[in-house]
Amino acid sequence: MAPGADRADDMWSFEAIGTRWQIETDEPLPTEAQREVRAVIDRFDAEWSRFRPDSLVSRLARGAGSVPAPADAGTLLAVYTDLSAATSGAVNPLIGDVLERRGYDSAYSFVDHGPVAAAKNWQERVRATDGRLVLDPPATIDVGAIGKGLLVDLVLACVRRHVGGDIVVDASGDLVARGTAVRVALEHPYDTTRAVGVIELQDAALCASAVNRRVWGDGLHHVLDARTGAPVQRFAATWAVASDALHADAIATALFFDGGPELAHVWGADWVRMTTDGRLQWAPGSKAELFT
Amino acid sequence: MIRTTARPLRVGAAVVGIAGTLTLAGCASATTSGSGTSDENAASTSGSSDASGGGAYKDGTYTAEGSYQTPESVETISVTVTLKDDVVTDVSINGSPTRAESQQYQAQFVGGISDAVVGKNIDTLSVSRVAGSSLTSGGFNKAIDEIKSEAAA
Repeated sequence: MAPGADRADDMWSFEAIGTRWQIETDEPLPTEAQREVRAVIDRFDAEWSRFRPDSLVSRLARGAGSVPAPADAGTLLAVYTDLSAATSGAVNPLIGDVLERRGYDSAYSFVDHGPVAAAKNWQERVRATDGRLVLDPPATIDVGAIGKGLLVDLVLACVRRHVGGDIVVDASGDLVARGTAVRVALEHPYDTTRAVGVIELQDAALCASAVNRRVWGDGLHHVLDARTGAPVQRFAATWAVASDALHADAIATALFFDGGPELAHVWGADWVRMTTDGRLQWAPGSKAELFT
Repeated sequence: MIRTTARPLRVGAAVVGIAGTLTLAGCASATTSGSGTSDENAASTSGSSDASGGGAYKDGTYTAEGSYQTPESVETISVTVTLKDDVVTDVSINGSPTRAESQQYQAQFVGGISDAVVGKNIDTLSVSRVAGSSLTSGGFNKAIDEIKSEAAA
């Protein structure tokens, strides 16, 4: 084995939910395990994707009123409650309506109809009770702030049912590493050939978010402030480390707003973020190696 | 004054792309009118008037200033882009978002703040993974490509 190549030896790459996945394991993942991973992702997509007309959230947007609650509904809504409180309402699962209005719709029209706030009273409108996910009146749920993080955790759990040893699940921006530590470069949001630092990740998840991809129109990008419908202005990129990808993803989103650092403190998460003028901020006691 | 040198980008070929590049530079929405968040905008152009090569844009230095409202204050920022032969050769940002959390808040939850970071070439680092924004989906990229080709037509 070449020096530095001390990580897992087999890598399975595939495309799903519109992004690239890579799963590294010591031994090749059995076909049966690959099938299960695909099924986990497909199920999540069929429940939560606002880009699929047959998904549960699309049915709720069309006025279904209630649908069978996905297994993850309670978990997701609980984390959204924490995020919403920590960011004074900047993070809101009904941001789907705003993203669509600004052009990031399921047809990818990219026609901007201007900013509008997401429904402030989302906690009264979206509920998971008695095995049903209820949404009244109709609105478009978008779980983009944390959904992929949760899905990475679900995929890792699926892989671990089949193989032991070192495992990395990397869903392009959200990744989790079990076993031997991996060194992860923090991509510069203004120049993707460069890194602003390195984080060593072991038995933990790292989620990154940045405004340099998913960009359209006059400076529009996918990180919108739910209180105004406007794209965030102060931060260009965020990285968060937590014990699981769900919480790392949540912190990575919260860090675009005031209150993110405090939530990271409460959850014990490490983090780094870059302001739009290129400066880095980091958590007190951060273990990240930064090229400042 | 923060200077960030962008990698060359063909301007004429990518109307949407230049909006993206300005976003990369940090504040396109602060510099574009009609974005819904800018409440005051001013743009000025200086530089050579002898545009060469018949490109879509004149060579020169373009500066735009904008201000926008945050929950607690009004921020102002200016972006300067240098174009030569339809390629962005330099981007600089002047005036940083000044709104700061209270000193107490920063001391408690933020470990530190650096100057602008250039970073290191990823190829020179011993890393096995890179974490940035998610690669965009096929559908998203296809739609953007269509818009670009319509804009070029």
